[in-house]
Amino acid sequence: MNPPPSNCRQLCTPREHTVSRRRLLGAAACAAGVGGLGGLLEPLVAEELKKQEKQVLFVWLDGGISQLESWDPKPNTQFGGPYRAIPTSVPGIHIGELLPHTARQMHHLSIVRNMHTQDNSHSAGVGRINRGDPKNRGVVYPYLGSAVAKLMGPTSSGLPPYCWVKPMSGGFKTADAGFLPAKYGALAFGDGKPPENLLQSDSITPEENEARNELRTMFNDRFADRRRREWTNANSYVFDVADTLMKRMDLFDESKVSERDKDRYGRHALGRHMLMGRRLIEAGVRFVKVNSYFWDSHGDNFNACESLIPQFDQPFAALIEDLHDRGMLDNVLVIAMSEFGRTPKINSHVGRDHWPEAWSVVMGGAGIRSGHVVGKTNQLGTFIDGQQYDIGHLFHTWFRALEIPQGMMEYDNNGQPLPVANEECSPIKELLT
Amino acid sequence: MTPELLKRYQLTPSDNDVVLEHDRQLWQARFSGCGHFLIACGYDATIQRWDMTAEPPRLLSPLTGHNGWVQCLDFQPGQQRLLTADSWGQLACWPFADESPQPIWRLPQAHDGWIRALAVSPDGQLVATGGNGSAVRLWSTEDGKLQCELPHPRRVFSVCFHPDGQSLVSGDLEGVVRHWDLAESKEARRLDASILYSHDVDKERIQHCGGARHLHFDAAGKWLLCGGQKEPGGGFAKGTPCVLVYDWDSGEQRREMPMGDTSDGFSYDARFHPQGFVMATSCAFPGKGHVWFWRPEDDEAFFSSKKLPNGRSISLHPDGRRLALLTSDSPNANGRPLKDGEYVGGRAKIRVLDFPVTE
Repeated sequence: MNPPPSNCRQLCTPREHTVSRRRLLGAAACAAGVGGLGGLLEPLVAEELKKQEKQVLFVWLDGGISQLESWDPKPNTQFGGPYRAIPTSVPGIHIGELLPHTARQMHHLSIVRNMHTQDNSHSAGVGRINRGDPKNRGVVYPYLGSAVAKLMGPTSSGLPPYCWVKPMSGGFKTADAGFLPAKYGALAFGDGKPPENLLQSDSITPEENEARNELRTMFNDRFADRRRREWTNANSYVFDVADTLMKRMDLFDESKVSERDKDRYGRHALGRHMLMGRRLIEAGVRFVKVNSYFWDSHGDNFNACESLIPQFDQPFAALIEDLHDRGMLDNVLVIAMSEFGRTPKINSHVGRDHWPEAWSVVMGGAGIRSGHVVGKTNQLGTFIDGQQYDIGHLFHTWFRALEIPQGMMEYDNNGQPLPVANEECSPIKELLT
Repeated sequence: MTPELLKRYQLTPSDNDVVLEHDRQLWQARFSGCGHFLIACGYDATIQRWDMTAEPPRLLSPLTGHNGWVQCLDFQPGQQRLLTADSWGQLACWPFADESPQPIWRLPQAHDGWIRALAVSPDGQLVATGGNGSAVRLWSTEDGKLQCELPHPRRVFSVCFHPDGQSLVSGDLEGVVRHWDLAESKEARRLDASILYSHDVDKERIQHCGGARHLHFDAAGKWLLCGGQKEPGGGFAKGTPCVLVYDWDSGEQRREMPMGDTSDGFSYDARFHPQGFVMATSCAFPGKGHVWFWRPEDDEAFFSSKKLPNGRSISLHPDGRRLALLTSDSPNANGRPLKDGEYVGGRAKIRVLDFPVTE
């Protein structure tokens, strides 16, 4: 257990991320000084709100999508594999032929083709990438979703700030929080379904429920009195989250989704989960992770890609299109990535192995320049040609894109100052708008 | 019978074997009908040729003009013509015995993308292709004109003509083998090879795995072979290499010929020997895979060997005295393995083994 922070005021709280009356008045006063309230307050308020409502949709393809079959094709070269490259909506940018839908959305996206990271194993690499590979200071850093939940808090929707749509089981996954309090973990919806027993049983009357909650609160308070607050916060937080979610059970009602959308995203698991991701973002969840497993194609890679990548391509393109059509892409940062890429070399089992040397990440939306490619690999796709970036650079870039103030780029871990991203890295300026 | 077969028919690699090498991996290596040539295709979009009448075999100039991978080839019977197809959708016909062959015809977009399978009809008039495009297509070998299109909605991995020329079979990702009546240009029946396919095993894996990877008839058209991986898995693509044997008349599966264990790979090729047994090969992670010989009548293989792993194709010379076994040589490569500062790719070896004379 962590001791209490020595200076709690160094940490931000979700409340500090809401638009305060004082800040609004300040903005209004400023506007009055410039030219009267009438015409300027609204844009200023809107701008302030807009800043606060930045969101993230993070697609994690666990195991490692092959960059050569997706974002960095090298057709007709030694390691290029069987596939063609296709043009995209951005002249001059080509991607793999298994991504025809995403190719039509490329003007909303950017590709980083010069990723060079440090770990070629899943066991260490997944955590290392998700945590931004900070310098080792003897603590377990939070995953990106937990970091954003901590740094930005929930949106004004009040919905849990970090939700995770994944195959199989759900639940509250505290491991993602690292050294942060457990409440910054991920609320996981297994197969897109709500947590079990979320809804109140019909057999309980509102009065009984109220009495039950009073009793629970009393027990909680008594329990908390003898313990440090951060130890008990996570418990009460789960109840608060459940209470918020109970009011939004419509999110889990598939009958409220149009048949057209179901077709556009695909009725397979990843399509359904990506559509769920969009709905959670629309509802106001700050950070949504959508997970797909078993991209680790050590054998029969190309048939695997031909099965897997279209299941990503269709819903991902629909997601980008929808966020743009709804005017949300300015505020929603969308990222799709894995823990590393795959080897240029094709092994005897027609597979590609782990390759952190030169791989790609795609992103778009909030604060990210669109229709752009950063960096390049050599002609064979084996290594990076020129500037290379590590995951720390991306964390800096994403935090900047989310407009997290510079003054908040440090955690206070019970008195231990910790930079939120690897201090040897910096934002990739050419990626930022 | 099998002890006698085993005594006569077994493969033992030796230092005296002719080994042909190529600095890219290959998918198939086949003797031509005349037996003078060995032709191979694979990952570098070229068609490699060796003159097998020379000692040692002489490498001839490659056929070029394909793109991506060339995964399939077949010869036109009685002609010095070769049909090849690539992963970008191109189909081509070559006078392969010429000194510097140029295509007799080529179709750059016979399919929209990967052509995985190709077979020439017994009379040499038609070539069937399967792959992307939700259809099996039949083309004239004379000029490449489309003759017929047979709808096969899932990804087609394999095609083969029945020796009577009246039927064609095509196998797909889901292990469905469709029997096509060519006179009527319609589907006659389906054979079930779904044991070679899996999907959504534990609701986490979204990959469709496996497929009917190859099809082949015996000379009399009594048996049909269908090969791949039994109960395949995604990711590592582990499963038991397996060849299924069907009685063609009844359509019933008569034999399962698994070889290896559940952490192995795919059977990529199987052919009938004129003596009636199946010669099969499999490939998995480096160093894994078998060559095995198995009579459809028997419960077990009479020969199997791990000494020739990572086999991609097996081809018997028309004289029956030699067998060309194509293998892949490409180790796993997590991380950054460099050899003398170079990042080295996989290679192919074609081992030409002596084989007993068929009587």
